[in-house]
Amino acid sequence: MTGYIIRRIGQAIIVILGVTMIAFLLEHLIPGGIARAILGPRATPLSIAVWNKRNGYDSPIWYQYWIFLDHLVHGNLGFSYKLNRSVDSIIANDLPRDVLLVGTSLVLAVIIAVPVGVMQAVKRNRALDYAGTATSFVLYSMPSYALGLILIALFAITIKALPAEAPQGTTIGSMLAHPSGLVLPVATLTLVTFALFSRYMRSSAIESLAQDYIRTARAKGLPERKVLQRHLLRNSLIPVATLVGLSLPAVLTAGLVLEYLFNFQGLGLEYFNAATTDDFPVMLGITVLIGFATVLGNLLADIAYAVLDPRVRY
Amino acid sequence: MKFLKSVRVAPKAIGAVALAGVMVLSSAYTAGAQSASNYGPTGPVPATGTKIQGGTAYFQEGPAAPPTYIFPFISPQVCSTMNYGQFTYLMYRPLYWFGNNNSPTVDYNYSVANPPVWSNGDKTVTVTLKNWKWSNGEPVSSRDVEFWMNMEFADSATNWCDYTPGYFPDNVASMSYPNASTVVFHLKAASNPTWFLYNELSQVTPMPIAWDRTSSSGPTPTPSTPNLPDTTKAGVTKVYDYLNTQATNVASYATSPLWSVVDGPWKLQSFTSTGEVTFVPNPDYGGSPKPTLSKFVEVPFTSDEAILNEIKSGGPKALSMAELPDEYLPQLKSVESEGYNAVNFTDYSISYFPLNLGNPTFGPVFSQLYFRQAFQHLVDAPGWLQKIQGGYAVPTYGPVPQEPSSSFVSNFERNNPYPFSISDAAKILKAHGWTDVGPGKVATCEKPGAGANECGAGTTKGLQLKFNLGYQSGSVVTAEQMEDLKSQASQVGIDLELTTAPFAQIIDKAINCGPDGAAKPSSAKCSWTALDWGAGWVYAPDYLPTGEALFYTGAGADFSGYSNAEADKLIKATTNGAASETIPNMKAYENYIAKQVPVVFFPTATGNPTSAAIDLISKHLGGFINNAFTNLTPETWYLTK
Repeated sequence: MTGYIIRRIGQAIIVILGVTMIAFLLEHLIPGGIARAILGPRATPLSIAVWNKRNGYDSPIWYQYWIFLDHLVHGNLGFSYKLNRSVDSIIANDLPRDVLLVGTSLVLAVIIAVPVGVMQAVKRNRALDYAGTATSFVLYSMPSYALGLILIALFAITIKALPAEAPQGTTIGSMLAHPSGLVLPVATLTLVTFALFSRYMRSSAIESLAQDYIRTARAKGLPERKVLQRHLLRNSLIPVATLVGLSLPAVLTAGLVLEYLFNFQGLGLEYFNAATTDDFPVMLGITVLIGFATVLGNLLADIAYAVLDPRVRY
Repeated sequence: MKFLKSVRVAPKAIGAVALAGVMVLSSAYTAGAQSASNYGPTGPVPATGTKIQGGTAYFQEGPAAPPTYIFPFISPQVCSTMNYGQFTYLMYRPLYWFGNNNSPTVDYNYSVANPPVWSNGDKTVTVTLKNWKWSNGEPVSSRDVEFWMNMEFADSATNWCDYTPGYFPDNVASMSYPNASTVVFHLKAASNPTWFLYNELSQVTPMPIAWDRTSSSGPTPTPSTPNLPDTTKAGVTKVYDYLNTQATNVASYATSPLWSVVDGPWKLQSFTSTGEVTFVPNPDYGGSPKPTLSKFVEVPFTSDEAILNEIKSGGPKALSMAELPDEYLPQLKSVESEGYNAVNFTDYSISYFPLNLGNPTFGPVFSQLYFRQAFQHLVDAPGWLQKIQGGYAVPTYGPVPQEPSSSFVSNFERNNPYPFSISDAAKILKAHGWTDVGPGKVATCEKPGAGANECGAGTTKGLQLKFNLGYQSGSVVTAEQMEDLKSQASQVGIDLELTTAPFAQIIDKAINCGPDGAAKPSSAKCSWTALDWGAGWVYAPDYLPTGEALFYTGAGADFSGYSNAEADKLIKATTNGAASETIPNMKAYENYIAKQVPVVFFPTATGNPTSAAIDLISKHLGGFINNAFTNLTPETWYLTK
């Protein structure tokens, strides 16, 4: 396992290097150069030259990339010219808040989806299963944007029981101090994610139920609860583990709709805004982070396989 | 959100474009729209109840547009209305204040200095300062202006957002400071006093000597400190670098001993990483009126949708002053019932889009006055204004904004020199050598040449009027306007090929092909023919609507590549003409440009400070006045009960 992890980390570094290289080259494709895009129509050749020199854009592109990598390994992701803040500080500010919001949704979705999926599989083609399927289909087919709007209209505007916006605190502590603000955004993302996870869990559990080891366990007289817990659940979780692993980058980006709708400044929106304002350092920094999260998510999913299925060896 | 001295940012162009844009307005609600002639009162918006002392007012920031920079010597990359009029100006007052009471004019009551006095044939300007104090107890003196001017002379070309070669401070020969309250500008050439006041002195902001340092170590400098670094060019550049570096530490804004020295009505109490800004009154403020509120909070938002939700769920308690984005106008009545007065305020801006006069194929056609006139005839301005923009726009037929109203706007421009007329457009094209001018055809040049009834110099026989018009994606208003223009143009045989791209791409193309861009409009790189970023130009903080930045030959923002000797002469007259000729010169320039149509003018969306939005003022917020240049004055605000 250790060797596998080391190999995967090596692959991850190559993947992240590739991602940064592509993003870095794209940055330099803008017509007229970055300085002109940043400084605006009044920029003079002199001010452009000074800005390029000050920010290292007057060097050959390979050298700029080398400097970028050097900064990257030293934890320096650059500086946002538009937001007047270091990219590190933007990520440091937004990431914990995104993790709280999207991460909580993800965990809640798993906690709800797993038993619901198992229950649907066990009660397959009965009323409870049909109800669960219908609920999942409705939630899955509904864009999170629309669901969020409905929840806001109902609970924040009509009933006025909950705030329409997420907590505005800049730290986890200050956000948790206003838990009511978390309810609607977390519920929105949880419901949508739950629908997906529960469908996977149901299918996986149905497949497991038909396996010999379940029949054997039942034949041995094991109580049904233990059959489900010890034999069904563990094996059925494998595809869900893949899904959760792949969802890790979504912690960084899937929050876009929530951030947009619930007035919550997070990395998804920072990324989107950076793309619409030519704020390349922010785009590059978050791209690197997403690349890292993708690789990490896959690695964790692979490790989860081995934990869930002892037959898997790396 | 708007960038200053720059292109006016299109509605929904910055921030969450696509998500909001898909829902924006259509002609469906026009029946309920308010009259386009109403652009708000010139005094405060009436409030209900009795005035109370203290309280907190909440101001809604534009979507994804929080303030980002505190140092008033603002650099180009952070040059925006949020950083000027909604942030630094509240703490650090410029010499002269403009735009209050819904009027694009100077307001001496709010200014640090008395009216300037001109002498020496309009080559010398003497400015006397009022008896204001910095919050550290030192008087606002000529030394503080000298500090600013030293930085201007040393660093403006590379570090100042408002720098234009040949203008301020290049047009200042020298400065003198006869006493602590007097500043004298000695100019290189006679300047028009109104222009110099509105477009040059408007940008001078006294800076406290407490900032005159190159590091955080050592005692705080005072005016009596010997050998202050700003007195040498190398020294003041180091001071700039130090202050600019301090200004990049946004987390320290509210606690920094530097930024706490203010002369404006407000002091910063907190500044969060999400852009929530809290101000408290500066008890040492020397101007009038003094703040009545005990706190003024600017609240950040991520999107139009989030703004609407907060307005509808929190109402005036959450946002004392908000803006309802235009796409939600059908909900205006229900929003008003939350406790708001809705006012159709606007800022001092114009909307237009350029044709590339340097395009190798179509440039020779676009360069012809007759073609530009014919094309302007195809813009159904009243139709756009009423049916697409729901009445929430200002007619725009030339370079001077018609609203907020001023003495600068001429009747010629007001009356639309080229009203919407398919037949007039067709007549003009037919009279200049084009055939197949009609619906279902593509107009073709039959008579190339420079003659009066020919297509124009440089045109070729057989050239068809079929060209691309790229416009910003994410705005249904812009999309509807462009679709309408395409439809009208097809009636006279002009085949517009519409394409969309994100705002940044559209504006990048235009900027980079301007006279001062990376490529000339005629270069192979600049193959675009027409670009519409959905807005145009906001006159701030160059407050006088003169054309030196827009239509003068080689001007940085002359994206179409327009060059005309007569226009240059008229623009020069507005910037350097005699004081007595200010209005006539202004109107001569304005009428000429309106006649020349170097760009395609179209109705300008209302909304101030965010464009394409209706201002919502709490019925319990008194003293709210519209500032034509998007500058906030919460010191006039008060709450009622």
